[in-house]
Amino acid sequence: MDLIKVRNLCKTFDNLEVLRDISIEINKSEVVVLIGASGSGKSTLLRCLNFLEIKDSGEIEINQKVIDVNKSDLNKVREDMGMVFQHFNLFPHMTVLANVIEAPVHIKKKKNQEAINKAMELLHKVGLADKAHYYPEQLSGGQKQRVAIARALAMEPSVMLFDEPTSALDPELVGEVLETMKNLAKDGMTMVIVTHEMGFAREVADRVIMLADGKIIEEGPPTIFFTEPKEERTRRFLQQVL
Amino acid sequence: MDFINSIYSIFQTHGIEFLKATLITIELTVVSLLIAVVIGLIFAFFKVSNITILQKIADLYIFLVRGMPLIVQLMFLYYGISSVLVLSDFTAGALALGIHSGAYIAEIFRGSIQSIDRGQMEAARSLGMPYSLSMRRIILPQAFKRAIPSLSNQFIIGLKDSSLVAYIAVTELFNHALSAQAENYMPFETYFVVGMYYLILVLIFTLIFNKLEKKLDVSKSRGGSGFDQSKKLMQNV
Repeated sequence: MDLIKVRNLCKTFDNLEVLRDISIEINKSEVVVLIGASGSGKSTLLRCLNFLEIKDSGEIEINQKVIDVNKSDLNKVREDMGMVFQHFNLFPHMTVLANVIEAPVHIKKKKNQEAINKAMELLHKVGLADKAHYYPEQLSGGQKQRVAIARALAMEPSVMLFDEPTSALDPELVGEVLETMKNLAKDGMTMVIVTHEMGFAREVADRVIMLADGKIIEEGPPTIFFTEPKEERTRRFLQQVL
Repeated sequence: MDFINSIYSIFQTHGIEFLKATLITIELTVVSLLIAVVIGLIFAFFKVSNITILQKIADLYIFLVRGMPLIVQLMFLYYGISSVLVLSDFTAGALALGIHSGAYIAEIFRGSIQSIDRGQMEAARSLGMPYSLSMRRIILPQAFKRAIPSLSNQFIIGLKDSSLVAYIAVTELFNHALSAQAENYMPFETYFVVGMYYLILVLIFTLIFNKLEKKLDVSKSRGGSGFDQSKKLMQNV
């Protein structure tokens, strides 16, 4: 069943066409990895999915419902889509625990105790229960990103979007974040991931999509995509990054 | 020795009066700054909003206030306000001072709101938080902390600027100095004494703000102080 359906999506920034006529479908529990050179539009595509960027034209359907930017409640749409950013974007004036319970308490109107229990469970899952009372700046990059994942999960979303989640990390911290993401995939979470971690894509993705110049130029399961890419541009790109 | 004797005699004759006037100065400063903070916040929101007309209104207000001397605005507003509304001199003065400081405080708030990383708003919105809630819970607490050094500076300017309402008959500290020196023919010594009063007031203001700044600065907190916040959360259940 399609959880996300994108049809003919276009987006321009000041006359620069960033996305041209993108169409994709993402099934429930599917892990989709978007790759491509910088400027290819992969981050913009991800941000269009939860309306942090507003499309110029085309149609986005989430959970069988077409989202109309002017009529639909975008806050409700976003509640159901967790997002993890390259630079974590934890709230620095709040402890880890406060970061995680912020949205459940203020939007879902959960009782504090209930939210805290759930938060501790999630922090336990990402291996940071002992850091619950720390401020973000007291954590390493990898720990921050795992808190950010827990914070997004606290809203119990049906999709998780990852925008280069490991690109800002020191190499030795990448593993712990990828490990957390693998566990999520195992639990059946639907995930859309922009990343340069090809090893991770090969291991975890159900489907890899290659973007260039705002267009999808190739897609397929990782076993085929990485071993016998059809397009010349894909081959060149893979040579550069692998 | 003469100078010290004169100072002493001014304290004897006017000391209590000056102290009472100081209270009025403090009251005037606090009331006008409260007005200014409210006005400042409103116009800062206008400026960071995407609505052109609101931005233009804020720009005009800031242009007018910054473009004229305070004493001119004070007279203008005083006679303007009191021709429409019956207000006490104190209220008119506090209102005028508030409208003046408000423009500067609007710019301070705007700057500090815009200095918060865009990712903070995006993270809040991505969790489903509406704009106003994100502003209140995520952006403003951080922006406010960042604004404190400039705010305290502006507050001190506001405190000293309050002396100008002496000319619209508010009997605050400087107003008393004006009448005292006319009685005792010792302008130099009288203004010296009044200067001391202002210095001490500014000193107290500064100390309060330094304390506030330290208290809000979680980044300086070591080890366990995050526990305070979390503990409070736990207790609220």
